[in-house]
Amino acid sequence: MMVTVENLTKRYRKTLAVDKLSMEIPEGEIYGFVGANGAGKTTTMRIIAGLLAPTSGKVFVEGIDVSKEPLKVKEHLGYMPDFFGVYDDLKVTEYMSFYGGLQGIYGARSDELTDSLLELVKLTDKKEAYVDSLSRGMKQRLCLARSLIHDPKFLILDEPASGLDPRARVEMREILKELRTMGKTVLISSHILTELSELCTSIGIIDDGRLVASGSVSQILEKMTHSGMIRIKVLERQDEAVKILLEMPEVSEVSSVSDILEVKIKGREELFAKVLKELVDKDIPVVSFHPEEGSLESVFMQLTERGTENEN
Amino acid sequence: MRINPILKKDLKTKLRGWRTMVLLCCYILLLSAILFLYFAGNNMLVPYSSTAYSPRMAVDAYNLLIVFQFALLFLAVPAITATSITSERERQTLDLMLVTKTSSVRIVFGKVMVSIAHTMLLLIASMPVLGVVFFFGGVNFADIAKLLLFYVITSFFVASCGVFCSTLFKRNIVAIITTYILLGIITFGPFIVLLISVYVKELVLRNVGFNPTYGDFLKPLFPSSIFGFTSFYYSGSSMYGYGYSLWGSVCQEIESQIARETGILRFFKPWIVNSVFNIVGSILLILLSAAKLNPVRRKK
Ligand SMILES: Nc1ncnc2c1ncn2[C@@H]1O[C@H](COP(=O)(O)OP(=O)(O)O)[C@@H](O)[C@H]1O
Ligand SMILES: [Mg+2]
Repeated sequence: MMVTVENLTKRYRKTLAVDKLSMEIPEGEIYGFVGANGAGKTTTMRIIAGLLAPTSGKVFVEGIDVSKEPLKVKEHLGYMPDFFGVYDDLKVTEYMSFYGGLQGIYGARSDELTDSLLELVKLTDKKEAYVDSLSRGMKQRLCLARSLIHDPKFLILDEPASGLDPRARVEMREILKELRTMGKTVLISSHILTELSELCTSIGIIDDGRLVASGSVSQILEKMTHSGMIRIKVLERQDEAVKILLEMPEVSEVSSVSDILEVKIKGREELFAKVLKELVDKDIPVVSFHPEEGSLESVFMQLTERGTENEN
Repeated sequence: MRINPILKKDLKTKLRGWRTMVLLCCYILLLSAILFLYFAGNNMLVPYSSTAYSPRMAVDAYNLLIVFQFALLFLAVPAITATSITSERERQTLDLMLVTKTSSVRIVFGKVMVSIAHTMLLLIASMPVLGVVFFFGGVNFADIAKLLLFYVITSFFVASCGVFCSTLFKRNIVAIITTYILLGIITFGPFIVLLISVYVKELVLRNVGFNPTYGDFLKPLFPSSIFGFTSFYYSGSSMYGYGYSLWGSVCQEIESQIARETGILRFFKPWIVNSVFNIVGSILLILLSAAKLNPVRRKK
């Protein structure tokens, strides 16, 4: 196991940012960490990176306890925070060699690594530019290169795509795919699930500091294959159909959008047939019956909504 | 051992461009101007003046220069170091350093080294000006070498204080002001303690009369860099009888007390005792700063 998190809890003065979170990331996995703003992603990642002491709980990276041997863990770990962190008066190569030095890499080896990393993040032609003069997307890529300078096995990327334009996002995604082929284990966060679904092998959904779902992308999709919404079109007697639907205990909400009824169902797929049968039995001329596709996005919405419901 | 990457980076960026060169030139010009005005004011530059050439006068000029440098050290070094950590925090680069395998002790030490390097640059640059004093004689080389050592050790301590305050506070300005206050207490506080203790002793020993020994000075004063500095100030009677100098007479008093010592205290010269205090203090401050930075131990 590359990373093991056990019952991690972090309490700031008033807020409980992370609440008994446990997770495991096997080697070679690209683990997507998804949650709304303020869900506790950054806090969790900072604790794993050894930048923040947890209130309770344990974190192991490659079996090493982060709180006991932080410096040893840092040799295997690259961290890219959700901000740039650049010096305005350094050139790109100097910036890289500074962080190389901090990771104990000097001289020719540092230069070699810098060259190959700048190539990876497509900044070779900006070698002599001042860091300050780079665009947002370039800075982001430079920061990624910096976090890779010591060739870590495990990478933590906190919202690497946030604040980037679509083009820069695509570029970033290409680089991340490259990392996957390099065999790195990556923990990557985002508040947008679709951004990660293509890239990741596993996904964990965090809400209010708790991990509400985790598993491979397909497992998560399986958990909830439908969004709980059916679009029904009837030829006539629409009002009657609404009445029938609302009388059913499985139906939570009906709204009509022009001639289409949007019906929200509480529960699993089996109930869809029951709803259709009921309508047909009552001689409603149903011409189209269309359960909405379950998308990662809707899974996310449902899981996080449920999380808040539990609280009340 | 490899050069500390923080030292390397900070020096590289600070020495780049014209700013440092311009500051350095201003500094040397200022030192030269002080020397020139002093000599001119005392008619030493007038060829056939009756008061021309006098070694004592050169010594007084030397005193003036080293006091100026000493004061500058106390003003400039805190300004550099008190922002060393806060500015990294502001730029959000502190976390990026802490997430590397470089320990927080080494990070703090790197920052202290940066300002020592600055001090040394200023000292070396000022050598030609101090050298002019040689030309007039009256100051020996060993004293200058000792003085440089004392300056470096003192700036080590001042820098450590600055970095320590820089780890304590979030804002630049708070860190700078706190550093000045802290240094003010350490350098001037002991003299106040001394005055009070002398006053109390004189009250108690009214009949016998209080006759202080070197030990009585040493005990309260050892943390004060000004006390350490008395070792370098050429006291003795000034060229002119006029202008009684309190400072000169304090130095003289301390010197004559040491001369009277026969025991081990004889070797505890002010600058040596103070340097030992500064080194021990610096190491403690560096360790404290590192503990404060250490994220895993850092609460909140
Ligand atoms: N330094 C801090 N002091 C107090 N509360 C904080 C601090 N950092 C984060 N929080 C709180 O902890 C919660 C989780 O924040 P964060 O981990 O940044 O979420 P995310 O990265 O998922 O957006 C939020 O409610 C936030 O307000
Ligand atoms: Mg965040």
